[in-house]
Amino acid sequence: MTHETEARSVGSPDDPPENAGAQGANRGGAAEDPDRGWLSRRLLPDGEDPDPRMTLANERTFLAWIRTALAFLAGGIALEAFAVDVFPSPIRTWLAIAVVCIGLLIAAGAAFHWLRIERAMRIGGPLPLPAIVPLLGAGATVASFITIVLFLVE
Amino acid sequence: MTRLHSDPGLQPERTALSWARTTVAFLVTSAIFLRWLPHYGLLSLVPTMLAAVAALAIYLPQRRRYAQHSRELEHGGLQADPVAVIWMTAVPVVLGACGLVLMASALSEQLSRMR
Repeated sequence: MTHETEARSVGSPDDPPENAGAQGANRGGAAEDPDRGWLSRRLLPDGEDPDPRMTLANERTFLAWIRTALAFLAGGIALEAFAVDVFPSPIRTWLAIAVVCIGLLIAAGAAFHWLRIERAMRIGGPLPLPAIVPLLGAGATVASFITIVLFLVE
Repeated sequence: MTRLHSDPGLQPERTALSWARTTVAFLVTSAIFLRWLPHYGLLSLVPTMLAAVAALAIYLPQRRRYAQHSRELEHGGLQADPVAVIWMTAVPVVLGACGLVLMASALSEQLSRMR
C-alpha cells in the first residue's frame, strides 16, 4: 500500500493508479491520453485530473490575478493620462511605466502560478505558495513611497 | 428553468461570474486607453481595440462555457483549460507592451526636444 501511495504521489506514468478517477481516461498515462488536448499533455503531463471543483477554483484564482494585473495596467495608463497637472511629465511617465511593468509581472506570474497549482493538484502534492504576493506588496509600498516623496519635493 | 448541475457549491456560477468580472476589467482598461487618444494619436487605438475585443471574446462564449462546466461537473470529463490561461495572459502582456512602447516613444521625443 505504501508503495502504491508513493508511486501515485510522484505521478509515475509507468504505474497507473488503481482508481483512475470518475473519468477513467488515464489508462495509458495522462501524457499519452488522446482525449486530452496537445497543450494539456505538454503542460500537465503527470498525475491524473484532480477534483473538477479544484480545477475551476484554480481557474478563478488565476482570473483574479489577471484582473489585478489589469488594474495595475489601467492604473499606469490612467496615471499617464489623467495626472497631467499633478506630476511634471518625465517623472509622471516613468511612474506610469513602473506601474505598468508591475502589472506585466503579475500577469506573467499568474500564469506560472496557475500551472504550478494545477501540476501540484494532479500529483497530489502540496500546493505552492503564491510567489507574486511579496511582489505585489513591495510594488504597492514602493509606489506609495515614491508618490509621498514627489509630493514633499513639489 | 431546469438546473444544469447539482453542485451545492455553485462552482459553474462562480466561475462564470469570475469570467464576467474579467470582461468588465478589460472594458475598463479599454476605456482608459481611449483617454490616450488626444496625446498619443491613432496608435493608442490598438490597445483600446485589443482590450475591447478580449472583453467580447470572453463574453460571447459565456453561456456555452457555463453549460459545459455544469455538464462536465455533473457527468465527469472536466479538464483544465491551458488555452484560456495562455490567451488570458497574452492579452494583458500585449496591452502592457503597447503602453510601454507608446510611453517610451513619448519620453524619447521629450528628450530630443530638450537637446
